[in-house]
Amino acid sequence: MTKAEFLARIRSETGRTRGLFEASPPPRPARPRERLALLRRELAERWRETVDRFTREFERVGGVLHRVGEAREVPDAIARIAGERQLKSVVAWHGDALGLDVADPLAARGLKTSAAPDTEVSLTEREQRRALAAAADLGVTGVDLAIAETGTLVVVSGAGRPRSASLLPACHVAVFDREALVESLLQAGLALEAWHEEAPPEWGGASINFITGPSRTADIELTLTRGVHGPREVHAVFVEQGLTVARRV
Amino acid sequence: MSEVAPATPLRERAGQALRDTFLQQALTIATTKFIGLRREAFDEFPEGEALRDQARAIKEATLQRLDHWLETLIGSIERRGGHVHYAASAEDARRIVLDIARRTASGMAVKSKSMATEEIHLNEALEAAGVTPVETDLGEYIIQLAHERPSHIIAPAIHKTKGQVAELFARELGRETQPDPEVLTRIARAELREKFLQADLGITGANFAVAETGTVVLVTNEGNGRMVTSLPRVHVALMGVEKVVPSMTDLAVFLAILAKSATGQKLSVYTSLVDGPRRGGELEGPDEFHLVLLDNGRIKQIAGPLREALYCLRCGACLNVCPVYRQIGGHAYGYTYPGPIGILLTAMLNGPESVKDLAHASSLCGACADACPVRIDIPRMLVELRKEVGERRIAPWPERVVFGALGSLLRRPALYRLSAPLGRLFQRPFVRGGVIRRLPLVLGQWTRTRDLPAVAARTFQERWADLEREGRR
Repeated sequence: MTKAEFLARIRSETGRTRGLFEASPPPRPARPRERLALLRRELAERWRETVDRFTREFERVGGVLHRVGEAREVPDAIARIAGERQLKSVVAWHGDALGLDVADPLAARGLKTSAAPDTEVSLTEREQRRALAAAADLGVTGVDLAIAETGTLVVVSGAGRPRSASLLPACHVAVFDREALVESLLQAGLALEAWHEEAPPEWGGASINFITGPSRTADIELTLTRGVHGPREVHAVFVEQGLTVARRV
Repeated sequence: MSEVAPATPLRERAGQALRDTFLQQALTIATTKFIGLRREAFDEFPEGEALRDQARAIKEATLQRLDHWLETLIGSIERRGGHVHYAASAEDARRIVLDIARRTASGMAVKSKSMATEEIHLNEALEAAGVTPVETDLGEYIIQLAHERPSHIIAPAIHKTKGQVAELFARELGRETQPDPEVLTRIARAELREKFLQADLGITGANFAVAETGTVVLVTNEGNGRMVTSLPRVHVALMGVEKVVPSMTDLAVFLAILAKSATGQKLSVYTSLVDGPRRGGELEGPDEFHLVLLDNGRIKQIAGPLREALYCLRCGACLNVCPVYRQIGGHAYGYTYPGPIGILLTAMLNGPESVKDLAHASSLCGACADACPVRIDIPRMLVELRKEVGERRIAPWPERVVFGALGSLLRRPALYRLSAPLGRLFQRPFVRGGVIRRLPLVLGQWTRTRDLPAVAARTFQERWADLEREGRR
């Protein structure tokens, strides 16, 4: 069936619905980018409460939060997580996307680390890097939003921001700062509006993921089991002094 | 008619479920647990009630202008380099997916849990065309290995014990193991990880699609939705036309109530927003993205009697609270969609004939409407379905005769007044302790599983008349 035929069928039915519904859906924000910028300024004043609430909820869903003072302490935090679990290999986001370069510092701490390129690469290289991620023990990513209400990490894919880093290794470490914090899911909705103000957007890839704790299932006799397909463990490293991420929106 | 009617009658299917002691126990444990988790989640979330109203309003308004929102969605997806296909029937949808599989020379398809693909019986069609479908949600994987069908919308394998799963893995995968959910899950992870990396085609449903941005949204707990939409070369999403929402603002409203209604989580572990094919600079993502829009009986309900069933989010909350579902489980319903909402969806997809028995598999207690995140008035539509089943003369004949007689009685006051003394006369041989436990002949069907209250010694009308006569009113 063609698009025109299909839509015509729908139109002939919706034509008969006048007066059947009396719905007034919630209004949408005009100029979401400006609204988001305004919201971020408001939120900046109460980031301490927000990060505390985030921590509570994140731990409730099985996440582990680590707090460090400065960005240069992040590699130590990651190396500690890896060391305690005897993890050897790491895949990470590109330094610009992450807000700091972890590849060299982690290599210096004995971890086999590969950071993603931030430009288009050949199919062969993409396949090699996918195999690398599938074999890696630990994935390091940034965070585009941290939602306090639900303990959720939102990650946007893109150049230098491979999806697999938060998906294929059994241990995921996400690095964030106060700029990423929002209070509620509805505020996250505003960010999604802002990110999509241009379609397709000038930045970002084709996948946005809300991650709320480690992968889980209860499909066998309702027994909660972690790490069925995605990571068994999710860690978040909060950098109090902030990261130097070039934020697009 | 898109689905084959079950081979045995509802009464037999229900009886079988009632005699299955493990199933009875599993159903009680699972549904009780889900009810408790859902209640806790909403107790902690006072704004939830207002958001449920908003979500319902969004569904109503979107459906009212569905042509506009679908056209917007199609435009947004095509701008991002995705392709949109139009399926009027289950057969159309299967053919579209098979064509894509053939054209892309796909040998293996990984699937994340999707009721829409269950509805069109896609797996059988893929197999027949030489494409191996692999279900990757753990519950779906288990029932695929067992050649069964899901028994709950969100917990498809609740009817299976860990012992049965261990036997199944031993037989089908050659992996002998303890019946330990942890170990079994690890085996499934290893088996399915290979498939994710090998598969050519990823097939998903869609929990939502955002019209203005062309975003398909998948909600999972395991992460299989992310794998399926990121690792294979081609991604096909199959979606009922009613799943479109206008904007990201609207999406946030639904996300705030969906997981709470389904599993009591504030949010499921993964909410994945898919914005079309891989974009330049990305290491992963499909080269091709296809959305198949499915009608299959939905469109003619936009202005039809089952319109409200199009608001359904497939959360499963109405199953858990339904006194009938809690007793008989999903398989006894006999079609893809079980539970109270399932009866309506079955009627929508397969016509009212298909639910001539199922329309009565409800006590009309209203628990489903209370639990529904978008407040679908399921009992009202079930009553309407019963009426339609009656009018079309497809109800069983004793039912038609009895209700026909009752109807003419209730329409004639004189006859009705006479019915009380007559009833008292005829019921005399059957009344024991104020109730009728057994009726003769075909009427016995009614009293087989329940008691009929006897006509009172003095009816209300008679007592009222007495009071008036004595001037005490």
